[in-house]
Amino acid sequence: MSYTIETIGLTHYYSKGTVQQVAAINDVNLKIEKGELVGIIGHTGSGKSTLISHFNGLLKPDSGKVLVDGVDIWKDKETLKKSRFKVGLCFQYPEYQLFEETVYKDIAFGPKNMKLSEAEIKERVMRAAAFTGVKAEHLGKSPFDLSGGEKRRVAIAGVMSMEPEVLIFDEPAAGLDPRGRNALINLIKDYRKQTGSTVIIVSHSMEDIAEMADRVIVMNNSSVAMQGSVDEVYSRGDELRAMGLNVPEITEIFAKLRAKGLDVPQNVYTVEQGAAILRKLLERGSAK
Amino acid sequence: MIRDITIGQYYPGKSVLHSLDPRVKLIVTFWLIVVIFLCKSFFSLGLIALTAVAAAALSRVPAKMILKSLKPIVIILIFTAILNIFYTQGGETYFSWWKIEITEKGVNTAIFTMIRIVSLVVISSLLTYTTTPTMLTDALERILSPLKVFKIKVHTLAMMMTLALRFIPTLIEEIDRIMNAQKARGADLETGGLVERAKALVPIFIPLMVSAFRRAYELAFAMTCRCYTGGEGRTRMKQMKIALRDIIAIIFCAAITAGVIVLNHFFDAVI
Amino acid sequence: MSEKIIEFENVTFAYETEEEDAPVQFPALTDVSLTINKGEFVAVLGHNGSGKSTLAKLCNAILEPTKGKVTVKGIVPDTEEKADEVRRIVGMVFQNPDNQIVATIVEDDVAFGPENLGIEPAQIRKRVDDALKSVNMYEFRHREPHKLSGGQKQRVAIAGVIAMQTECIVLDEPTAMLDPKGREEVMQTVKRLNKEMGITVVLVTHFMDEAVQADRVVVVDGGRIVMNGKPREIFSNVEKLRSFGLDVPQSTELCHVLGIKEGVLDVDECVDEIARLAGGAL
Repeated sequence: MSYTIETIGLTHYYSKGTVQQVAAINDVNLKIEKGELVGIIGHTGSGKSTLISHFNGLLKPDSGKVLVDGVDIWKDKETLKKSRFKVGLCFQYPEYQLFEETVYKDIAFGPKNMKLSEAEIKERVMRAAAFTGVKAEHLGKSPFDLSGGEKRRVAIAGVMSMEPEVLIFDEPAAGLDPRGRNALINLIKDYRKQTGSTVIIVSHSMEDIAEMADRVIVMNNSSVAMQGSVDEVYSRGDELRAMGLNVPEITEIFAKLRAKGLDVPQNVYTVEQGAAILRKLLERGSAK
Repeated sequence: MIRDITIGQYYPGKSVLHSLDPRVKLIVTFWLIVVIFLCKSFFSLGLIALTAVAAAALSRVPAKMILKSLKPIVIILIFTAILNIFYTQGGETYFSWWKIEITEKGVNTAIFTMIRIVSLVVISSLLTYTTTPTMLTDALERILSPLKVFKIKVHTLAMMMTLALRFIPTLIEEIDRIMNAQKARGADLETGGLVERAKALVPIFIPLMVSAFRRAYELAFAMTCRCYTGGEGRTRMKQMKIALRDIIAIIFCAAITAGVIVLNHFFDAVI
Repeated sequence: MSEKIIEFENVTFAYETEEEDAPVQFPALTDVSLTINKGEFVAVLGHNGSGKSTLAKLCNAILEPTKGKVTVKGIVPDTEEKADEVRRIVGMVFQNPDNQIVATIVEDDVAFGPENLGIEPAQIRKRVDDALKSVNMYEFRHREPHKLSGGQKQRVAIAGVIAMQTECIVLDEPTAMLDPKGREEVMQTVKRLNKEMGITVVLVTHFMDEAVQADRVVVVDGGRIVMNGKPREIFSNVEKLRSFGLDVPQSTELCHVLGIKEGVLDVDECVDEIARLAGGAL
């Protein structure tokens, strides 16, 4: 069986061949299955951005391999080109990539590069616009006339319109206010539910990842430090803190409650979950 | 990593050359360049070449780096040497074949010109190796400040240069980011003819311009907030003071000039 | 009564844009009255586009009110000279650390403000060194700003304001572009400025965990001040805050959902409250 994305011994150096040569990522072995929603966490400089730039061939490994659907993307030029469309990458602050005269044209840029027919392009633009909540009346406008939040949606639509098998988001909520962040998280969840695509989210927000991901990969010092379900990873709070990552506040509350001798689980990472547990506990308390 | 780029070719150090007043360094460099062109004989040029070598040693900049600065001019050197060998005629003939004649004068001129160019490049790159771009801009501003009399906005020009130096690395990073974003959307930047390639730059150029304008706008706000109102009434934290070593450098320069003039007088001119 | 440093009196601000030849006005702030006292640490909360950034820019005469009056220590900045005077009292730090650093060396950048003020060179040197020490960036004084992390750049920007010895510092979403570590560094620095150096702080943000650390929270929505009070009062209204597109810290939310206490501000308080109530369950 082949995985949607698989890396074997993936290594990349900065300043290769000089005295300052350092590994940006070192011997990374990962398997990402079709339809998964994977969260990649790590502090700045942990190598997570370098890692995802390898998934669609923006960076070439210094050693090791990246397989998409079981095929080495660096096999030949054609495969590499195809991998760009198979694996869509939405960078941090994607609104800074907008350039076309109209929103429509900007969303169509990717599909046009794929050399699709006009009809197909139109269909895809409409679909992507609907997904991201870009209003129909905005399609004819200049993207530069939109508000910050609207620009971000257009930019995301510009990657979604390529309808990639895998969609990667690098810090999708960066700079957004709570309302914008919640809307974006729901957008990503809906997209995944409706298309069944594989989604990878890179973030340093443990809260965001906890809300979305099926599986978490933690990057530290250029390599994979942990991977597993949200439960498995988030329960290792002390190790995460040592890597400069903050566990969600709610997880911290439960850790401190345990320290106070309360019999509560440690794998709590959303408020709803925590409230349900505590409600039972408090009822029991008052019943006594 | 792309953010590690350094503008200019400053080589950090604490040598005498590093600690000279940048204004003095700037003036001395120009002065020596003029003197290079005054040299007429091998002896006077030799004096300059010796000075260049001595200065390079004093700067403690590794010889490898200085040789690196000569790399881009190798072709020019070869080209001028060939031209001189074939087109300058006179004196004893070393070699003759068909219409080509290599004469004593030709060879001498070629060697002379080569030493001259090499000295010139070594001396001017020592300036940039031992002085940061910021210090150079500062020095230029101070040297040119008398031009204020002619309503030339020296401070504004220097400020613009400083800001350019400050933002070049930031914008290079930005270009890298935008290029990656557009490549991820399938933009093809590497193939196609000239026209196609030029067209392919539009998706990079426009976001870059938009971002540069946004940055300029925000920067202007930030500078206003920090009470910037132009050069009038500004003081500077880093004062430039002429020290003993600066005076020595200037006297040394004068001595070399005198030496060149004397040597020119006593020995045969090559050109 | 404490001394006022910034006072907004019925301030309205509208952006004007040309649209099909007719100027259209977009009100960003409407009839805002607000007083900032000396030594206070005030957080201004609001979602993007609520008008909070406009409010910040009015504090040091970067923008001029369309209607009403902003007074800084008795000065109304209606001329360029007076605006400059105001900027010597109220300094500003912006969101994007890259777009406010002027020089190619850290210490030169910190010196930029004092140089503009025409301070004596020896005095500038001292101010720059002190300012860099107070934000823990002294060891980085000879570095190039573009090689620093976001949090470090932002601390250099703060040092640039401290070196001008302003009495008040307004920070317009200084942590929005930073990672958690950078945010933490900047917040620590801001709190220290306020507590140890007595500098008045106005922090514009949409991060609730930053707002809870302030002495007072002002909530802006639709260009108006809709809430103004101590963090505990503000965060007691979870539903109301949500209606303004804002959130509350998870500790606050948990106690609210459980219905045990309103206005809980941090983890320890939340843990103590739950432990107290669950005492019987032990």
